[in-house]
Amino acid sequence: MHTSLRTKRSTRAAVALLSVGALMLTAAGCGGDDGDTAGGSPPPVTVKLPSLKGQKLQVTAVWTGTEQENFTKVLKEFEKRTGATVSFVPSGDDMSAFVGSKIAGGAPPDVAMVGQVGVLREFAQKGWAKPVDAATEAQLKKNFAKGWRDLGAWKGTQYGVYFKASNKSLVWYNTSAFDYAGAKEPKTWKDFLAQAQLVSDSGTDAISVGGQDGWTLTDWFENVYLSQAGPEKYDQLAQHKIKWTDPSVTKALTTLAELWGTKGLLAGGRDGALHTAFPDSVSKTFANAAEPEAGMVFEGDFVAANVADAGAELDGDAKVFPFPAVGAKPPVVTGGDAAVALKRSKASQALLTFLASPDAAHIWAGAGGFISANKSLDLSAYPNAPLRDIAKALISAGNDFRFDMSDQAPASFGGKPAQGEWKALQDFLKNPRNVTGIQRRLEADAAKAYQN
Amino acid sequence: MTSADTVVSAKQSLVARIAARAGGGVARVALVLIGLFWLMPTAGLLLSSLRDPADVDISGWWKVFSDPGQLTFSGYDKLLSNQQITDSLWTTLAITLPATLLVVVIGALAGYAFAWMDFPGRDWWFLLVVGLLVVPVQVALVPVAKLFGEVGIFQTTTGVVLFHTAFGLPFAIFLLRNFFAEIPRELLEAARLDGAGELRLFLRVVMPLGGPAIASLGIFQFLWVWNDMLVALIFADSGNPPITVALQQQVRQFGNNIDILGPGAFVSMVIPLAVFFAFQRQFVAGVMAGAVK
Amino acid sequence: MSTATAGGAATPGRAPSVPPAETRDRKKKKSVLGTRPWLAAVFLLPALALLGALVVYPICYSVYRSFFDASGNGFVGLDNYQEMFSDDATKTAIKNNIIWLILAPTVSTALGLIFAVLTERIRWATAFKLIVFMPMAISMLAAGIIFRLVYEQDPDKGVANAMWVSVHDSFTESPPFPGAHPRPDAGLTESSGGAYTTEATAKPGSPASIPLVAAKRDDIGGAQTAKKAAPEAGKVTGTVWFDFTRGGRGGRGVIDKGEKAMADLKIEAVKDGRVVAKTTTAADGTFALPATADGAQLRLPAWNFSEPYNGVDWLGPSLVTPAIIGSYVWIWAGFAMVLIAAGLAGVPRELLEAARMDGASEWQVFRRITVPLLAPVLSVVVVTLMINVMKIFDLVYIIAPGPSQDDANVLALQLFQSSFGTNVNQGLGSAIAVLLLLLVLPVMFLNIRRIRRESRR
Repeated sequence: MHTSLRTKRSTRAAVALLSVGALMLTAAGCGGDDGDTAGGSPPPVTVKLPSLKGQKLQVTAVWTGTEQENFTKVLKEFEKRTGATVSFVPSGDDMSAFVGSKIAGGAPPDVAMVGQVGVLREFAQKGWAKPVDAATEAQLKKNFAKGWRDLGAWKGTQYGVYFKASNKSLVWYNTSAFDYAGAKEPKTWKDFLAQAQLVSDSGTDAISVGGQDGWTLTDWFENVYLSQAGPEKYDQLAQHKIKWTDPSVTKALTTLAELWGTKGLLAGGRDGALHTAFPDSVSKTFANAAEPEAGMVFEGDFVAANVADAGAELDGDAKVFPFPAVGAKPPVVTGGDAAVALKRSKASQALLTFLASPDAAHIWAGAGGFISANKSLDLSAYPNAPLRDIAKALISAGNDFRFDMSDQAPASFGGKPAQGEWKALQDFLKNPRNVTGIQRRLEADAAKAYQN
Repeated sequence: MTSADTVVSAKQSLVARIAARAGGGVARVALVLIGLFWLMPTAGLLLSSLRDPADVDISGWWKVFSDPGQLTFSGYDKLLSNQQITDSLWTTLAITLPATLLVVVIGALAGYAFAWMDFPGRDWWFLLVVGLLVVPVQVALVPVAKLFGEVGIFQTTTGVVLFHTAFGLPFAIFLLRNFFAEIPRELLEAARLDGAGELRLFLRVVMPLGGPAIASLGIFQFLWVWNDMLVALIFADSGNPPITVALQQQVRQFGNNIDILGPGAFVSMVIPLAVFFAFQRQFVAGVMAGAVK
Repeated sequence: MSTATAGGAATPGRAPSVPPAETRDRKKKKSVLGTRPWLAAVFLLPALALLGALVVYPICYSVYRSFFDASGNGFVGLDNYQEMFSDDATKTAIKNNIIWLILAPTVSTALGLIFAVLTERIRWATAFKLIVFMPMAISMLAAGIIFRLVYEQDPDKGVANAMWVSVHDSFTESPPFPGAHPRPDAGLTESSGGAYTTEATAKPGSPASIPLVAAKRDDIGGAQTAKKAAPEAGKVTGTVWFDFTRGGRGGRGVIDKGEKAMADLKIEAVKDGRVVAKTTTAADGTFALPATADGAQLRLPAWNFSEPYNGVDWLGPSLVTPAIIGSYVWIWAGFAMVLIAAGLAGVPRELLEAARMDGASEWQVFRRITVPLLAPVLSVVVVTLMINVMKIFDLVYIIAPGPSQDDANVLALQLFQSSFGTNVNQGLGSAIAVLLLLLVLPVMFLNIRRIRRESRR
């Protein structure tokens, strides 16, 4: 429960990417099919699966609604090819507790779709997760960049298959607010601040920050840091090889303070931001589409689902631009869900192999709301050009993307409310002048959590 | 009582006095207001479940009073076409009925034994059972999960039923034993003289006479099991869970799944509320008798 | 509902529908059927087997397990207990359980008492009682979902804040331009509390210009275009306007063509910290102050810009526990009411009448006679609720939002977390289970004593 907040956000994308696609469709000036009707083309058959006639398989993920429907399509194809019977069980938000309770009775689901690297490593460490077999390993080698493979490994052994990826470097804006203020999509951080100021001056608070959920704040930091300090530093910080008192962190926090510390830029002020949960931060921006409480909101592709919940129309009321470049290059921070086998069986291994193949990715990609890091996936599988572009960018980034840093940290530092990074950044939001104090706190907590 | 309470009561009795003088007018008005206040949360859920999620996201349920056109059954349509939810209602029933029946039967047998049979240490055994009334179910989750895992009934309806039965038994035995003990001795002796055996006595005399208590117990247990989430969360087949767990799986931090949760919570409430209204007398009796649970 | 027997409530150990009087002194210790221990064993077997395996065994297991570490292999003695009392999460849980234990039963019982007394002589009271008692029949899960809605932060969505805010707002006048403020370089300084004061002093004949930004679209929508104030001899004049042109093109501090006026703003002339004159801006944004304002600084009081009141953060870290207790009271006040009402029905009328004849006030009658007579019922209610509260889980699990979950933590939830959550430690979990058991133990003994007393009568 209080450990799994992070999972939820990456999984929210019922219509998410589908609508990102639709939304960028016009931007790209490319007509064509609507996302949901596409995907009719039969999936390719590139991987050989064993016959599993009569075998039963249970898969769990936090997905509900449209995501569940689309994932079920993938499982159906697996059933068709192997003869196994696969059932899908939503775990509820608290994946760890769900799996933990089933393991207590010795009957875990066969495969879990895990949204956090930290949880994956924990499952591996406890011996709950089972290593992948040779066939899956082969598929992974063939289809995934090393960066993605490593995310699914623990102590050199491969456990997870990153089946679903997400892009966490997007800023969503209310077109009516931008139009009223005469603001334009910014490319750089400086321009971003200027446009935000413009929106604010026009009478709409510029940016809605869901500061009640600490993870949105860590994502802010990660985007700024990755773009500003570069991927090498990012990795070092993620592994706690450099300290949080490092000057690069000072610089990133100071940069962030330019936004968080300026009056009128945050919806409801800093105090309001601290009391806004993530879903509310989106509905503040889009629920009243014509006269919103905020002009922009930052978060990953899953925001699209909340936009739809708020009754706003994508591409009409809501548009999106990439997180502005703070340093030389704009950041690409990603998240994703990895399939992990919890039982050592032929069937669960076969499912992992299947999920690592382009065949499986093809199905969900066609249904929309999904991007894959699978480089063997034929990009024509995506229902429209913009989705294809996001996926292409993800794959051509090779190992240059970076996975959400706080998701890589031990849960007590990067994944829990009221402690570690979440709490520290909330305190920073409360008082953006206190850069050094926050850095000391972060370092102290990190040292404890990483035990180094 | 704390002094705060007495102040409250003081005000209260003042109100009562004035009310008595004014023909109870004030008290009546107050009661109507409190009643409305108490209804409001439920009414809010009901009305929310009858609105479009997009409407729910921007305004409160009270909006329907000024704009009744917002009311729609689409949420219920969607819910009832959701196989997982409809199946879960059957699972709930498949858990609740046996768990209720078993508690009544096993509890009655034991209650009868404690009331009318002689065996060494009877009262002590009874007190021990009564002592178990207060044991929190959470204590048993892990050990019983392991136990069920070994026996092979973890994640089965059987397991859930057994668990509910076990934790319903102390109350059942307590209630029925006390009730049976009040049966006039002459009745039993008369039946005995007619040559009735122990089992016959139990089935023909004690059980029929125990009707009211059994009804109370049955309703109480029915509601308890139907409404349970925690036990089912751990022990029920997660692929085919009862309604409470199915809904719990939908409680997501991101985005309010109100379009499923609202109607779902309401559908899950229909049966218990129907049972409650149909058997409120027995339910109240059960509550009062079981005031130690 | 109110017709359930008084005896049943006053002595809940007894089945309620039994005619009370005649059974009182019946001795029922002896079997009618003679001693047949083996048959008794047959009757008892299913119950004892189930209780033994699923209730007694887990207790023993928990006690045993609590002396071992997380893996279950290493004996650690009392370490888990030590850790339990030093672990922050568990400490919060214990603290919250104490708050629950104090607040929930007393408030529920107090309300139940009030309701019971209120409904005592009213004919249609049954309808009221049904409404108040109804939450008892629904699941904690449904109640949780219901109260998540009630406690929504946004006053436009959550009924609790909607009511709170409308009460609050009925006492305040709504400001003309919430959220508006000057640019940092506009020549105004912000004082504590959100008022803005000009750095320059006002002079008659040279009109002041006060440019502001961030006026809400709603508030500025119908405004006139701003007009430059004309200099007037002997008067301090000026203009307050919305210094914003689409795309940020207009000049700063300049009234560009089409920029809107900000009307109805309060303006004060301040000299040495004292307000010497006051006025309000006109529809075209201009204002005029008498000559006394000469040499004063112009101040726009904070009221002009105060943001609308947004209500209480019910599920925030500080209020989450009381808020969830509120939902608990909603469920259980009906229970208290029904028991107390039944007890009240058993209070002899003659006694009350006699006291009234003696000139006792209604309050005295209530305090001196009714309450003492009700004492046994009240204590049963409170004790029952206490046991129940100790085990509280579902409501907290469902209602507390993720970020406040740690602040709302209770023992049963912590036990659940440490049994199955991310940081599984079944040793610690078992220690918490044992603590929970120890906490209910005294209540158990009380109950047993009461039951034994009753069965001896």
